[in-house]
Amino acid sequence: MRNTWIIILREIKERVASRSFVLFSIFGPLIILGLIYLMFKFGGSESEKWNVLITDKAGILDNKLLAHPDANVSYSFANDYIEHTDFAAGKRYQKFDAIVEINEKVLSNKIAYVFYRNKPSFNLQTKVQYQVERRLEEVMIKQFTTLSVEKFREIKQPLKFNFRNVYDPYDQTSDIRTWVGFFFGTIILVFIALFGMTILRSVTSEKSNRIVEVLLASVKPRQLLVGKMTGIGIAAFIQFILWILVIGVGLYLMRAFLFPSIYDPSAMNVVQLTDSGKIMSVQEKLYEGNTFNAIVDLVYERVNFSVMLTFFLLFFIGGYLFYGSFFAAIGSTVGTENDGQQFVLPILLILSLSAYAGYYTVANPESELAFWLHFIPFTSPVVVMVKLTYGYANGEAYQIWLSLIILLLSAIICLSIASKLYKNGILQFGHRLRLKHIFQWLRIK
Amino acid sequence: MLSVENISKSFLRKQALDDVSFKVEKGSVFGLLGPNGAGKTTLIRIINQIIEPDAGIIRINNDIVTRKHLATIGYMPEERGLYKTMTVEEHALFLGRLRGLSKQDASKMVNYWLDKFEISNWKKKRIEELSKGMAQKVQFICTVLHEPELLILDEPYSGFDPINMELVKNELIAMRNKGKTIVLSTHNMKSVEEVCDSVALIHNSKKLLDGNVATIQGEKKAGIYAIKFRGNMIAFVNALWTGYDVIETENPSDNLFVVKVKMRNDSNFESLLRVLLGQVQIEAAWEVLPSMQDIFIDIVQPKTA
Repeated sequence: MRNTWIIILREIKERVASRSFVLFSIFGPLIILGLIYLMFKFGGSESEKWNVLITDKAGILDNKLLAHPDANVSYSFANDYIEHTDFAAGKRYQKFDAIVEINEKVLSNKIAYVFYRNKPSFNLQTKVQYQVERRLEEVMIKQFTTLSVEKFREIKQPLKFNFRNVYDPYDQTSDIRTWVGFFFGTIILVFIALFGMTILRSVTSEKSNRIVEVLLASVKPRQLLVGKMTGIGIAAFIQFILWILVIGVGLYLMRAFLFPSIYDPSAMNVVQLTDSGKIMSVQEKLYEGNTFNAIVDLVYERVNFSVMLTFFLLFFIGGYLFYGSFFAAIGSTVGTENDGQQFVLPILLILSLSAYAGYYTVANPESELAFWLHFIPFTSPVVVMVKLTYGYANGEAYQIWLSLIILLLSAIICLSIASKLYKNGILQFGHRLRLKHIFQWLRIK
Repeated sequence: MLSVENISKSFLRKQALDDVSFKVEKGSVFGLLGPNGAGKTTLIRIINQIIEPDAGIIRINNDIVTRKHLATIGYMPEERGLYKTMTVEEHALFLGRLRGLSKQDASKMVNYWLDKFEISNWKKKRIEELSKGMAQKVQFICTVLHEPELLILDEPYSGFDPINMELVKNELIAMRNKGKTIVLSTHNMKSVEEVCDSVALIHNSKKLLDGNVATIQGEKKAGIYAIKFRGNMIAFVNALWTGYDVIETENPSDNLFVVKVKMRNDSNFESLLRVLLGQVQIEAAWEVLPSMQDIFIDIVQPKTA
């Protein structure tokens, strides 16, 4: 045990002190944070910029629309009638992406035409419609009622018909959340691939520089293997903690300075001319520029990080030991480092297929194949992460534990096979590895 | 000290060792000889508990060897390496601790050996910065750091430059004088004669010969004597008459000869000297013992009649 611990400490020290570890610890999470920032910035809200010209010959809107400029749409006014053919060809109109025709009949027939050059996204269409409609509403309230805008809107509030899944009344599960699971699963696979390759390189280099025979005169092959895999695993874990810390701090800072909570009244963004934020519903805020952002909401409000991280850790350990045993077995049986590269390809291919299995589960969470992939140790680490965010029905939670047990048992079996191959293969040098060698070494007691 | 008893080992269909036995006395240098593929490394790995024998036992100080004995063994394999990214000090401490030393003791011993080899300034150097000769010294230090009772060196001279070879040889002799037991496998027959007290010869997985070096040489001697003389070669040959065969002649200078002579019938060294006295001017005469090289080749590649 003492010697295993000495091996573990050496492995940790070697990994943690290496330049690649330090760089990966810093730049890995920074790249992820950068991607998250880009997703926050553009993923959940519009990235399009639209320049809209409103023709309002009758001056109904009084050349006003928004109190504060919108991030995506800028409005200009023309108190003139412009033929859409002029708009299409006229040089002076080329800077505009669309034209909104407000004619004098609009208050009675409620029809406005919008001519665009390139079809905008649905969200942008809705946003423009909403903003123009709200301004028209103000004009009509003034013209046809004696009510204040606030009062009118209070009366006008539609009945919110909230459809909710009886098994998930708080809507904790949804498609978009499964991508978070997929992300976690992919991180597991990336860590397995990176640190699996580290195991392989470490074993083959010990073999090729012949230090291994000196070590084996002090420790048993199994101790050496366990020490090595544990040491590298702990280094991976340290790296993972560093990632969580950097990403966690980054998310916190982004929340504080870049993407404030829409549920926090102090952070509300009042944009309408006469409106005040406090009477707006969340649905209304949807159209309020960047205030509501589906991905920000997803990351900060809807992911249960404690559950995700707990199972992430358990499946990471299981997956690492399971796949790690393959890397160790290859490392110990190959005769040259080049051989190692060649034999590791199938494992990397399986890891890629495993990532695809996660993607498949995102798309088809209830399919029979996804059900089986959930239990197969090659794919379970990523599929379970996806299913976890999708949610387990009542009484099905045992599946996650069953999957974990299968993964851990498979890891134990693979480790015992790997340690046998390691014991018999580690002192064989310079050969070209063939399958028959593997069978031979499995037969030697 | 070390007793190898009826060790057999096979790898699938290939027999690596077949019923090999010998004993190594405490405080001696023991040479394990044999051509490549004879089974020496397999035997050394068995002694070091790296692999298990199919049959037979190894004893150290009359105890059947177990893993706890590993702390009393120092092992330098033929194919030896070091972790390239570790410093000399880190590496020596790591291997010393694996051999059971505490951190403090290991550190003390590292300093002692680095001072002894006058390489203290290498302490913080990474292994990859060292030349091959420097790395060899570090390897030797790592092997002896924990002051093992039994030192096992597999081909210790392979890859060593002459200076390091001399250093290691002197160190081995010094360690033997301190009562340590040393087993070395080697092809270098000259070093066997210089440092080994006894040897075992393994060939084709079997032990063919073992014993004290001087005794083996005595047993294998063929009654050959060398005479160094000044005078006339014809007079020398005439004096020998029929009792002796001249088997080799050297003529280092004009009238100086060194002749190797083999006895015939009842002739002996004394009678040889007697017939030569007065005929030539004898400067020296001695019995020619077979070199270990000759004995080795004679056993491994017997001459066909």
